[in-house]
Amino acid sequence: MKKKILLPFSILVFMSSCVVVKEYEKVNINDPDMILASRKGERNLLTFQSYREAAVGANGGKTGGGCGCN
Amino acid sequence: MVAIEINMNMNKLVAASLLFFVFAGYGQDTTQVYKKRVLEYTEVDFLSSYYSQDGNNAAVSGGRGNEELTDFTATYVISIPLNDDDILSIDAGISAYTSASTSNINPWDGDGAGDAFVASSGESTSDSWKNITGSYSHSSDDRNEIWSAKLSLSKEYDYFSFGVGGGYTKLFNEKNTELSVNANIYLDSWTLLYPVELSAPGPDEDDDFDITQFTITGNTAYNPAFTPIGSEGRNSYSVGFGFSQILTKKMQGSLALDFVQQEGLLSTPFQRVYFGDVEDSFIQNFHLADDIERLPDTRFKVAVGGRLNYYINQTFVLRTYYRYYTDDWGISSNTVNVELPIKLLDKFTVYPSYRYYDQTAADYFAGYEQHLSTEEFYTSDYDLSDYSANQFGFGITYTDIFTERRVFKFGLKSIDLKYNTYKRDSGLNANIISVAFKFVKD
Repeated sequence: MKKKILLPFSILVFMSSCVVVKEYEKVNINDPDMILASRKGERNLLTFQSYREAAVGANGGKTGGGCGCN
Repeated sequence: MVAIEINMNMNKLVAASLLFFVFAGYGQDTTQVYKKRVLEYTEVDFLSSYYSQDGNNAAVSGGRGNEELTDFTATYVISIPLNDDDILSIDAGISAYTSASTSNINPWDGDGAGDAFVASSGESTSDSWKNITGSYSHSSDDRNEIWSAKLSLSKEYDYFSFGVGGGYTKLFNEKNTELSVNANIYLDSWTLLYPVELSAPGPDEDDDFDITQFTITGNTAYNPAFTPIGSEGRNSYSVGFGFSQILTKKMQGSLALDFVQQEGLLSTPFQRVYFGDVEDSFIQNFHLADDIERLPDTRFKVAVGGRLNYYINQTFVLRTYYRYYTDDWGISSNTVNVELPIKLLDKFTVYPSYRYYDQTAADYFAGYEQHLSTEEFYTSDYDLSDYSANQFGFGITYTDIFTERRVFKFGLKSIDLKYNTYKRDSGLNANIISVAFKFVKD
């Protein structure tokens, strides 16, 4: 389990040293569909998933508490 | 004993409130420099959804029975810029549902015969979940640091929750790299509702249900060894770490790592369990409970997730997500999500999506009449069973950056409409349609 958790972090940290994209070069990165989060309109969907499924967290949704759910 | 418990809860509330104000007040800058406002205008989001599900593994009736449920949710999120650096957000919502499953907490208060596959029409058929969350964020002058804090309250008929949380975000490397940490505490409490045949096994002046008025079939000497739950509280403590990175001019990714510790009443008091080694008793067509589900009073969860988004060209964007989850109840899970936004016109984007989910069963799960009365922990809640699920979705977004269409003093900035259909290999089917409107007061 530790490997599963640590490996992706190691890869992304390694890749972070590869390039610096300047502000004026971020036109594509700043596209609304490129946001690194769930869409706001999907919030209720994430809530239902947290009610019906055991897994929670690491997605910006509920992580436990706040409802009588799993 | 009760006084001690109340005092302890008050201490926790005071500590939580202090945490909120520490986060809220930290980092006040005094330097006067020109800077772009973090949020130019007040924004109002209206989010609504209609959800329906159907299946035959209702947890209230021990893993078999009608799971029909419908829910309508409406939420307003108002974000107000207090000054150049600070934003106050108020998030208020209500979720109203009807459930065949919970209606069978008392299956004999309707017009028909009690039956796990038929919804009763009693008062437990419907309920609502109400929530209000206030959050505050402060950005530093160079916009490379963000502090945030939030308080939340939510209420259902049998559940109350108080939550407090805070977070800190730091941007580096010309805003190519972002690190964040957040922490949340929820102090929740149940109002204990048991299956009616367990809570009122004899005549009860405070309850309409009187078991002596019914004819018991099967084992007519129904006498369950039921022990009421001693604790009503559920506390959840979570800490999360985030890391995001721009990888190229067209690609960026992020990782999130969440740890959650829960303590207290982690089972649901009205979910029945039937033992294979106990003789069956019935009233009408309904199997009388042998016990309620019993689960450990602690649970530790770990989730690690990653997103990778790629801007293919002016028409297509690829959004991907993966999460691995595990906990000390024996559940491990994988989630994969892929979405392909397609820009059709200046203002319209469609986005088909697919999501795969699987999980292993909790150590304490077994189906209807599969448990033994000698076990310490048991549940027949299929949400804790071994299954996989597929979800297909299709959404359409309308965006007008000039907010030409207006409602009173608000300009309409975007509409997002999405339909998802969800199917488990264990039989549960669900559908949800969501709509989100964003307005800007300029």
